[in-house]
Amino acid sequence: MSTPQNTGPRDAPYGTGAHRAAGEALRGTGVTVREADPDDAVAGVMPSWVALPESTEEVAALMRVSASHDLAVVPAGGGTRLHWGAPPDRCDLLVDTCCLNAIPEHASGDLVVRAQAGVTMDALAEALAAEGQELALDVPVPGSTVGGTLATAAAGPRRLRYGTARDLLIGITVVLADGTIARSGGKVVKNVAGYDLGKLFTGSYGTLGIITEAVFRLHPVSPARRWITADLPADPGAVAAALAASQAEPSAVELDWLAPSPRFTVSALVEGAAVEDRAHAVRAVLGGDGGGKAPGWWGAPPGEVLLELRVPPSGVDGALSAVAARGLPARVRGALASAVLQIAPAVDIGGPEFAAFVSGLRGDVAPFGGRLTVLAAPPELARLADRWGPVGALPLMRRVKERFDPGRRMSPGRLAGGI
Amino acid sequence: MTETLDELARRLEEALPPGAVITDPVRLRTYECDGLTHHRAVPGVVVLPESAEQIAAVVRLCGEYGVPFVARGAGTGLSGGALPRTDGVLVVTSKMRRILAVDLANRRAVVEPGVTNLAITEAVREHGYYYAPDPSSQQVCTIGGNVAENSGGAHCLKYGFTVNHVLALEIVTPDGEIVTLDADDPGYDLLGAFVGSEGTLGITTKVTVRLSRAPQAVTTLLAAFKDIEQGGQAVSAIIGGGVVPAAIEMMDALAIEAAEAAVACAYPRGAGAVLIVELDGPAAEVAHQFAEVERVCLDSGAFELRTAAGPEERAAIWKGRKSAFAAVGRISPAYIVQDGVVPRTALPEVLASIDRLSAEHGIRVANVFHAGDGNLHPLVLFDDAEPGAGERAELVSGRILDLCIEHGGSITGEHGVGVDKSRYMPKMFTDDDLDTMQLVRCAFDSRGLSNPGKIFPTPRLCGEVPGVRKGVHPLVESGRAEQF
Amino acid sequence: MDPELIDDCVHCGFCLPTCPTYVLWGEEMDSPRGRIHLMKQHVEGTPLTDEMAGHFDACLGCMACVTACPSGVRYDKLIEQTRAEVEREHVREPSDRALRELVFQLFPYPRRLRAMRLPLRLSAGLRRRIAPGLERVNPSLAAMADLAPERPSRVRLPRRVEAVGRRRATVGMLTGCVQGEFFPQVNAATARVLAMEGCEVVIPPAQGCCGALPLHSGRPEQAVRFARRTVAVFERAGVDTIVVNAAGCGSTMKEYAEIFEGIGDGEWAGRARAIRAVDLAEYLAELGPAARRHPLPLAVAYHDACHLAHAQGVRSQPRELLAAIPGLELREIAESSICCGSAGTYNLFQPEAARELGDRKAGRVLATRADLLVSANPGCTMQITSAIRRSGAAPIPVAHTAQVLDASLRGLEKVA
Repeated sequence: MSTPQNTGPRDAPYGTGAHRAAGEALRGTGVTVREADPDDAVAGVMPSWVALPESTEEVAALMRVSASHDLAVVPAGGGTRLHWGAPPDRCDLLVDTCCLNAIPEHASGDLVVRAQAGVTMDALAEALAAEGQELALDVPVPGSTVGGTLATAAAGPRRLRYGTARDLLIGITVVLADGTIARSGGKVVKNVAGYDLGKLFTGSYGTLGIITEAVFRLHPVSPARRWITADLPADPGAVAAALAASQAEPSAVELDWLAPSPRFTVSALVEGAAVEDRAHAVRAVLGGDGGGKAPGWWGAPPGEVLLELRVPPSGVDGALSAVAARGLPARVRGALASAVLQIAPAVDIGGPEFAAFVSGLRGDVAPFGGRLTVLAAPPELARLADRWGPVGALPLMRRVKERFDPGRRMSPGRLAGGI
Repeated sequence: MTETLDELARRLEEALPPGAVITDPVRLRTYECDGLTHHRAVPGVVVLPESAEQIAAVVRLCGEYGVPFVARGAGTGLSGGALPRTDGVLVVTSKMRRILAVDLANRRAVVEPGVTNLAITEAVREHGYYYAPDPSSQQVCTIGGNVAENSGGAHCLKYGFTVNHVLALEIVTPDGEIVTLDADDPGYDLLGAFVGSEGTLGITTKVTVRLSRAPQAVTTLLAAFKDIEQGGQAVSAIIGGGVVPAAIEMMDALAIEAAEAAVACAYPRGAGAVLIVELDGPAAEVAHQFAEVERVCLDSGAFELRTAAGPEERAAIWKGRKSAFAAVGRISPAYIVQDGVVPRTALPEVLASIDRLSAEHGIRVANVFHAGDGNLHPLVLFDDAEPGAGERAELVSGRILDLCIEHGGSITGEHGVGVDKSRYMPKMFTDDDLDTMQLVRCAFDSRGLSNPGKIFPTPRLCGEVPGVRKGVHPLVESGRAEQF
Repeated sequence: MDPELIDDCVHCGFCLPTCPTYVLWGEEMDSPRGRIHLMKQHVEGTPLTDEMAGHFDACLGCMACVTACPSGVRYDKLIEQTRAEVEREHVREPSDRALRELVFQLFPYPRRLRAMRLPLRLSAGLRRRIAPGLERVNPSLAAMADLAPERPSRVRLPRRVEAVGRRRATVGMLTGCVQGEFFPQVNAATARVLAMEGCEVVIPPAQGCCGALPLHSGRPEQAVRFARRTVAVFERAGVDTIVVNAAGCGSTMKEYAEIFEGIGDGEWAGRARAIRAVDLAEYLAELGPAARRHPLPLAVAYHDACHLAHAQGVRSQPRELLAAIPGLELREIAESSICCGSAGTYNLFQPEAARELGDRKAGRVLATRADLLVSANPGCTMQITSAIRRSGAAPIPVAHTAQVLDASLRGLEKVA
């Protein structure tokens, strides 16, 4: 890790009058603001201040001050994925959502919850479980917040059955770069009034504004769950496809594999009222034990440095062969049937080697319709690599960014194309 | 036609195949409305392109002349989303109806926008797959229109809407570029934002949809109740009990009467409400859930239960529900369909309020709705020959939407805002909300040529993309100045 | 054109995918909803332009939209009224006029039709040679020549056929004009099947056209004349039930009373109501089987004639009758509700569209890989046969439901 760099407000070096004025103005909002320390660095970039707002209005006040003082702002939740994406070009203010931690509404009869962005997914799950309900989004890392999960579009094994954050989000409140508070959607599942800003902010990495509140649709907690796990010597993708097409309706089919070994561990989850019958149907395809418990690696990221491979399901086995053929030891884990996998190269990989691995593998999987992005890699490792690969809609994304954040102050540079 | 449109029409004729440009006034008038007939506007020109390239050429020409354009599929929308512009071009995709690829290995199909929703299912049914979103008009409505409106249907309770089943889109942007939006794109979910944007962000030219595995078992149950309150209780109890059926639909006495008149659906006599509950999934699970639903219905006071064993009996149960909208034509000379949504738990209260409104204004209201997700379809009946009846019906209709908003719901669950409900948008959203949505519009369509006048109550200007700016939101200035 | 009937349309569009011309061209003006809109324009004062008339003429009158319409719009009535209006008001091109005259002076008159069959009764080889030239000169005449089946041998039917075994009923039988002239063997089979099922069959010799052809083409006066004559002929024959084996005829005869009422002729309406017209399959299904079915090991594709399926709602009965034959495997034709393009005189007046629809239907029929195609309407039979011939595929034999039943009841090896 390089030493965190302080970038400060543009043309206002640390300690100058402009810098001091900005700090005073931030404190003038009445929101708790403290000086940043090295632990607050965002992918190696250190902010000047950290603010701890407790309401959407407080976030708006912070953003208005930031706008008038040209401060670059990065929102942060539990910090579990703050190192994901590219480092911001600059960062003056870190808006820590930890104190936006209320769950103002859980309409259990309507299977809907409204939660502030800083609520951790674990806390949310606990609150919902009291009513026998859950947000069917698996939490990859403990401590993740609602806002961070949305901003990084994170999802876990059960995406196969329930979709990802964007599929379960039904309403959102955001604060834009200039302090405007905007809502879209609502608290009913079925709603097509107006544009769906929630979709736009899902996967936005803080570059459009700050998510302060979200409304989700919920599911009843499944009365029973069974995991069926088996080791396969080859072609796990074909087995996953067979499972996905089977009438067992698994909620998830996950892979854990240490490339390039010829042992693929595949685990399928069935949920619902008749799990034994369905577990039996899964075993008929997958084989494996009847233990029924989740394997230890279930839903956990395979490492610190993370690549994400997405490929049409029929291309999975080809893509895995390509990973093996690269010869680098790497752990591959993820949603096999949905064909969204994370690849963690060995920790001691060097920058040039890493760049070659990324561009080489990207080329290998392209013929299968696959794409590869770098989710998380320290800047010194990722410097030589293209994190995102080709993105067809990039010009449109740029135009959206220009409209929402014309001053490029919201997490600038975090996304593809320097957005 | 104005000179501009005349000249544009000539240019369009050069750019498109013979017969693809309609300027004859008699023919143009047949396109004056979609499924919502009380908004009409004869389009300036109609074009019937056959490819994305042709649509791009049309859009670029419209840009050159500063002429607005509106896309239309089968013209079945119920919010006037495809209402033409008299000063604009109507781009009809009904000739683009090829299924380009069926890729079962990847559980997806690639289709042109004019393909009907049901045609996708028909193309894959024999392989045990189907396309999940099923709007009531599924045999007619096109997938392009579904994308524009984010269409749902009876089964979206369990399976979600169009946006949950579209994997990629090829669109023509309002600048005339052909762009692919892919669910796998990193960054903003533009695909998700485009779906449901009612044609205001561009025109869909190719759709990649997810195909779903046909469930192992499907059970459909019809429960008859003495009144709608009992039916509502059953709905709450079913969902509260942890069962997520594929669909829960409810019809009240008046809606049943209309359906009987139209298709002789033979629902139980004397029913004040019928509930249709469909369960699907692995056979063992369906059996388990069925027992639960049956018990709940009986506990809630159901006096007759019918279960469909096979596809024919299922079709018989659904027949009345699926025909209900158009069937209302048999019991009333005219009607307005609303599409409001309320939290499911507020259903009994809202239905009672609708009853009161109905009595107060002497306007009959038939209720047909997706009870599972609180999506009401009140059919406000009136006689257009009776002076003042139309106005009273409009009033009742508007009050119903107010009720939905008051209960934290939405003015539209699946029909879209279109022209019909744009005036209610400020009741549901603040100016800041609408201005923020407008930022998306401006990013895609800075000149406001793509289906202008829909969704948003007042046209707003985009202005130039501001440079580095301090302080005030540009729309706070321009938007406010316009409003006050 | 009745404005009230027009107002029944709520513009939902459910008719679009069932309309053959919309299926072909995807244009609003050539859909039922669009045509109703055009009717409305005309009723509200827009003159009947060439374009408007063209869209009305392009309607096949298949009535698939009537089946599909959830609002119960009487498109059948509307298009009938509209066609009459077009005939009254619209000045057609001279060549178009001449052709229409020829058809209406020819087809409804069996004797004239018989005389005209001579030039149409060309050998297949000769027909192929002249077809391209004829196509150039007049596509409609080319279509006519193309459609005419080859040399049917003339069959004389007796005035009365006795029931076999115990007599269960006495029925009249319509011989029809096109059916009688081009497919006399179908009439013979119909009479035999009815007799074998225990019916005494009365076949008045002086029958002519029932009025369907002129009625569906905007010539109500001629239609009413024919209808009166038909009612009178069967009254004289002393029957109260007329079994009809041609779909187009059956649908018109079921409407006789309504047609007479439409012109305020209560007397004839009453006389028409006293006689029940019924489709052969509908009648046999009601009657129930009496005769023994012998096995027919055949894969059969059943074609829904529009005037049977849509106009009369007879869909299940012929299928049930066929499926009840031992050894017979019934196959469904994809898009069965879409018209084959025959539609009475349509293939004569709109040959290009008819040809496209015929080709589409032929493709779907061939895809069933059936041994035999069953069609209950002579127009459909001619249309589909000629489309299959045009496609160059091996011809598939075509038979009427009556002929299949006849073969089974008589224990024949094959369907005649």
